[in-house]
Amino acid sequence: MSVTTLDSRPARAPSRRRTALQQRVLRERTALVIILIIYMVPVLWLVATAYKPPKDMFSSPPTFIFEPTLHNFRRVFEVFDVWSLLKSSIIISLGSAVLSLLLGVPAGYALARSQSRYAIVIAYFFLAIRIVPIIATLIPFYLMMRDIGLLGTWWAVILVNTTLNCAFVTWMMFSYFRSLPKDMEEAALTDGCTLWGAFWRVALPTVIPGIIASALFCVMFSWNDFLVAMFLTNTDSKPLSVALLAAFGTKDITWGTLGALAHFSTIPIMLMALFLNRYFIQGVTRGVN
Amino acid sequence: MTKLNSTARRLGAALLLSTGLAGAAFAADKPLDGVTLTIASQNDQFAAVIAKLAPQFEEKTGATVKVDILDYGSLLTKTQADFVGHTKSYDMVTMDIVWAGQYADNGYSVDLTDWIKRDAAELQIDDIYPAALKYIGQYDGKQVAFPFAGYAAVMAYRKDLLDAAGIKVPETAEDFVEAAIKLTDPSKKIYGFVANGQKGAAVAQDWLQYNAQLGGSVLNAEGKPVLNSDANIASLKVYKELFDKAAPPGAVDYDWGGREESFRQGLVAMMETWSVGAPGYYDPSMSNIVDSVAITYTPVGKGLPPKFGFGGWGLAINNDIDEKKKEASWEFIKWLVSPPVHKEMNMLGAGSYIRKSTLADPELNAKYPFLPIIAKSFENADGDYRPRIPQYPEIQDLLGTAVNAVLVGGADPKAALDEAQKQAEKLF
Amino acid sequence: MTSISAGTASVPRRRSGLRFTDRRKLFLFCLAVPAVAYVIAIAVYPLAQGIVYSFYDYNLLRRGGRMTFVGLENYRELLTDATGQRALINTFAFTFGAVVFEFVLGLGLALLLWRDSRFNRIALAFLLIPVTITPLVVGLIFRALLAVDYGYIGYYLAEWGITDPRGLFAGTSTALPTLIFIDIWEWTPLVALILLAGLKSLPGDILEAALADGATPAQRFRLVILPLLLPTVFLALVLRMMDAFRVFDSIFVTTGGGPADATNSMMVYGVKQGLQFFNIGYASAIGNVTILCIAFMAAAFALLIRRADVRANET
Repeated sequence: MSVTTLDSRPARAPSRRRTALQQRVLRERTALVIILIIYMVPVLWLVATAYKPPKDMFSSPPTFIFEPTLHNFRRVFEVFDVWSLLKSSIIISLGSAVLSLLLGVPAGYALARSQSRYAIVIAYFFLAIRIVPIIATLIPFYLMMRDIGLLGTWWAVILVNTTLNCAFVTWMMFSYFRSLPKDMEEAALTDGCTLWGAFWRVALPTVIPGIIASALFCVMFSWNDFLVAMFLTNTDSKPLSVALLAAFGTKDITWGTLGALAHFSTIPIMLMALFLNRYFIQGVTRGVN
Repeated sequence: MTKLNSTARRLGAALLLSTGLAGAAFAADKPLDGVTLTIASQNDQFAAVIAKLAPQFEEKTGATVKVDILDYGSLLTKTQADFVGHTKSYDMVTMDIVWAGQYADNGYSVDLTDWIKRDAAELQIDDIYPAALKYIGQYDGKQVAFPFAGYAAVMAYRKDLLDAAGIKVPETAEDFVEAAIKLTDPSKKIYGFVANGQKGAAVAQDWLQYNAQLGGSVLNAEGKPVLNSDANIASLKVYKELFDKAAPPGAVDYDWGGREESFRQGLVAMMETWSVGAPGYYDPSMSNIVDSVAITYTPVGKGLPPKFGFGGWGLAINNDIDEKKKEASWEFIKWLVSPPVHKEMNMLGAGSYIRKSTLADPELNAKYPFLPIIAKSFENADGDYRPRIPQYPEIQDLLGTAVNAVLVGGADPKAALDEAQKQAEKLF
Repeated sequence: MTSISAGTASVPRRRSGLRFTDRRKLFLFCLAVPAVAYVIAIAVYPLAQGIVYSFYDYNLLRRGGRMTFVGLENYRELLTDATGQRALINTFAFTFGAVVFEFVLGLGLALLLWRDSRFNRIALAFLLIPVTITPLVVGLIFRALLAVDYGYIGYYLAEWGITDPRGLFAGTSTALPTLIFIDIWEWTPLVALILLAGLKSLPGDILEAALADGATPAQRFRLVILPLLLPTVFLALVLRMMDAFRVFDSIFVTTGGGPADATNSMMVYGVKQGLQFFNIGYASAIGNVTILCIAFMAAAFALLIRRADVRANET
């Protein structure tokens, strides 16, 4: 956290200006608290709605007080095999994250350390992979997966998600490695360390936070993806994100079941990001500079 | 599916005993041992019920049945992809009544004609409404799906509100419009009418229902699209008038769920709907109108023969799967529509009817007082007001945009339907 | 990989055979190859196929899925058809609205969070929650909150006459702004985070020098901070622009592109044509036009930023 904790604002003003500064901080914090409320209301609604009885959900005008019920959770377990959905979500997002890191971290290192003028072009090519709209590739990919017999398996989704994720990891690790001085590696090489050793034992340990941040982004992306997973999985391999829409229902608005299912799909990833937010922020910080 | 299955299995076992099938089930050898059948199912009331009953079939035959419950959009996309890619992900698919043309044209599913003939006695085919067999699955001389969930268009209304206003239950479409406008009182938050207004399938399907009652149609006698016929334009004007003068303001954004909800909450006096939603009005955990609701026939246009909208779902067997699985799937369908199982399914709230005996069943009638209305509607059913042609999905999409544009965008009914017609002609 | 800098050449040669710099190049090459090959195989190959399909009349549900070469017909139809034009305009409007507001609000938020304190760190952690929620669910949450009959926000907005009684999603002029608002809600914190990262990396001595010169906060911001922040601003804008232009989930679950065609976006249109009607040729054309638009806008951004950079250096 060396970069982020450095307060780069001008040094503190003399003491007679302190009250002015305190007032300013107070104003800033009030503004932040208001913004936080705007952000927490929809999230709290999502959580609360899971415990609301179906009838209260739609009362007009809306009611704020209701008797909490677990009816929605029972309903979710009746219709969905939640544990299987959860398992698929975990396997798909972790699988894609691992594969993306295996491909992207070495590539990011190579591009950062390469002296070639094409390195930066290739790095931006990876960034540009993000613009590929999924509709353009999904159907060719579907047929490709059919031909190699992976359709309807976790692998199909992992492979697609890995393209976007690995491109992202490469780009992020490229920025990360580039922000680190090369001196240590050069010194290690002079001391007789192998090229692989310089990468694996010297450079890699210094970018662990970046790797965690990249992994976090990969997991989030795969976990939240809906279209690819919907198209490529089947009954046994579908993840939570796909079930969300079915939980909501087409002909029957069931906010309650949606809220209940969100306890398994949305809230875990939210908590994960909250606890690992140090890395999340650091990843972005390094990726930017 | 372990969790779901074990609970469901226990339930299933209990049901078996209660229906007296247990003896037969345990005595029979299990000819389908080791077969797994996967059904792609629309998330309608029947889906959870089929999943619940499936273990009974396993007890009886040894075949495991998995039910993949999907929303309408995902169901359409995934099953189409499965058919065109020949990927055999699903053995059986719940087929919406309007997909029949596409299934028949492309040969997606097994033609059941011969099997139905062969097993007519076992199926007790005479007990099944001819309309159900005809509309759900018959197309171009093929039977591309077997009906298991027939829905009748019915009118749900509030006795208390109609009585208070001194209005008789409307029997003609014209009376319906008049009554709807008269019953509306926004200051009391009471509205005479509600229908789907949301862009897409929602508004298209509901408008087609009113359009048929008012004498409009999508195709002419030669089977060519006539979206901008005078009758259609006139009925669209009426539909807009209803939305402007008699519907809750939010209705322009309603799909089926929003529409049903506004009725159950007590905002609305009259609503034309599918019979499948009716049990919900009598369920006090969801509904505010348990004591005042009543169900009757949908109104008919003045001077038109009595015809009632018919919709629903059939089970289609994927044509790509091997013979053994096809046979096994057929066994499952026969089992599901057999009178005892079908009754059980409806006792569990599936709201899916195809048999005369089920609709006449005293136990079911005691639970659901509106069954005679469905029975009568089935006898005069019209399942073609939404044409079941291969181009239907695109036509529905065009209408879904055009009608919605008229309701909210102030588009001129004639101009909107002219444009839709222009696009529709390209499809033929 | 041709140029060799003096820095690496100075590393002593320790083994015979390949020169060290060459071995190093080879090593780095080997590290990069798997990722490049993978991306080409899985993204570029289907993309190339998509380009080919876009020149054909190719519908999997019609005529047994036969392909007929039609040249640029799919593109012509997309660009002349009212629905296609509308989708393109909507998508540009959405992207423009979302990116501009997210930038302005994100910058404000970043400045609020700039002071390093425990309070601000915790606030940032919570503000990042929306970024983690599935866009699908975000759309559904707002659909529920804004419903005029039972939504906690929509009901009162309509009741107090602030919005049309039909609700925000039902108005042809309000639906798109509402969707832009949802996007702003979800993504402003990420923009703020990126900009904050840029702010924190600004060299402290320059800021202090500006303060010592007696510059007002506004001057300091315009003349010192903003020019230094430009590369970060560029990154934030381009990242958001690329994602906003492909908006799908939130529209799909709220309006479905309605009312009329007021919120139909390129992706919503493309998914309907491709994954619902299996009109592969036309859907591919939609996808390719989308890519071209994004590439064009990214290039325009790059040019603008460079010009701004040059001008900032001149003054």
